[in-house]
Amino acid sequence: MKYLIALVGAILIVAATFFVARATTVKSLTSETSIFDTFEDVNGTWLFSDKIGAAAASGVERARVALGGPLGLSAKEAVYFVTQQDDDGAPLRSQCAYRITGPPIDTRWWSLALYDTITQHYVPNAENRSSWNSVSVLRADDGTWVIQVAPTPQEEAWLPSQETADKTFELMLRVYNPSDATRARLPNIELPTVERVSC
Amino acid sequence: MLNRILFYSLAAIALAAVTFFVTCNMVIQKAPEKVMSTIEARIAAGVGSWNACFHNQVYGPRTNAARRANPDSIISSMAYDLSDGPVRVAGETWPRYWSLSFYQQNSDNFFVVNDLELESSSFDFVLALEGQDTDALGGTTVVSPTAKGIMLVRRFAADASDMPGIIANQDAMTCGPID
Repeated sequence: MKYLIALVGAILIVAATFFVARATTVKSLTSETSIFDTFEDVNGTWLFSDKIGAAAASGVERARVALGGPLGLSAKEAVYFVTQQDDDGAPLRSQCAYRITGPPIDTRWWSLALYDTITQHYVPNAENRSSWNSVSVLRADDGTWVIQVAPTPQEEAWLPSQETADKTFELMLRVYNPSDATRARLPNIELPTVERVSC
Repeated sequence: MLNRILFYSLAAIALAAVTFFVTCNMVIQKAPEKVMSTIEARIAAGVGSWNACFHNQVYGPRTNAARRANPDSIISSMAYDLSDGPVRVAGETWPRYWSLSFYQQNSDNFFVVNDLELESSSFDFVLALEGQDTDALGGTTVVSPTAKGIMLVRRFAADASDMPGIIANQDAMTCGPID
């Protein structure tokens, strides 16, 4: 009888722990920012990873990327930077306006895209725009460029954040086929500044 | 009596700890495969079968895209299954930027090539499993570590005016099993 009780107890412990462990792990892997938990802090604003799609990624890194941004290219082809905050460390919020000022990036192609932090998808907007790229953005004579992130139309290179107030968003900078000089300095290349203009 | 309670308590804690550790690792290891299976099923449903290409022909953000998808990248995708033999992917590259990438079932990007790395603007790749004979098939053989996986072709569009050219490029692309 006592062995039966011990067996039933063991089964209950295994079953309960299994469900708790599974729920805890799934929640940890699928929270809106968990994909970036293992990214490297570059300059206090931007995060970087060269483990996207990589065989060298740990099990946790692989799972987080698969759930939060699947089918990325390996670092052989492209590298990824992301930020969820401005240069003062405040979260990027939909009711604020930001000025993103970027240097010339020595690469074949780059794009800056905006995503809703919670849904991890595009933000629907009347312009149907969620990115600017190295071809479409206007550049000054010195190669610098400016993108205005705001909920309402802006005069130049407007990247719409959502009109609903107090939602968070993130910016992702993709750098495809970086030059050898850029690659040699990764991740410490000159990155765009993220300045809050108004709120 | 006290010793017995202590023994059962320690045994219960040890059992719970082992179960917790094993379950966490199992979920972490299986999550990428589950995501891949979901995406493969969507691609196959979109085009009607495995080993066939689905072409996105819409410029800009799409609400049904994968999480954090790149809106500047116009994608052709294929869910492949090499169980019955190799699969061919061939066509012309796209000058702004073109790349062909393969993802094995654990989501690793095990192969990628871009247009600047090819000798010409044409491409012809045969995707096969280790041990499958591809000698007489021509093209460049790429060995997939797993029977199932996903192929993506990325073409960059600066704006919507690039779309007619990209759609023509997609139409000229072939992908499917080799007879």
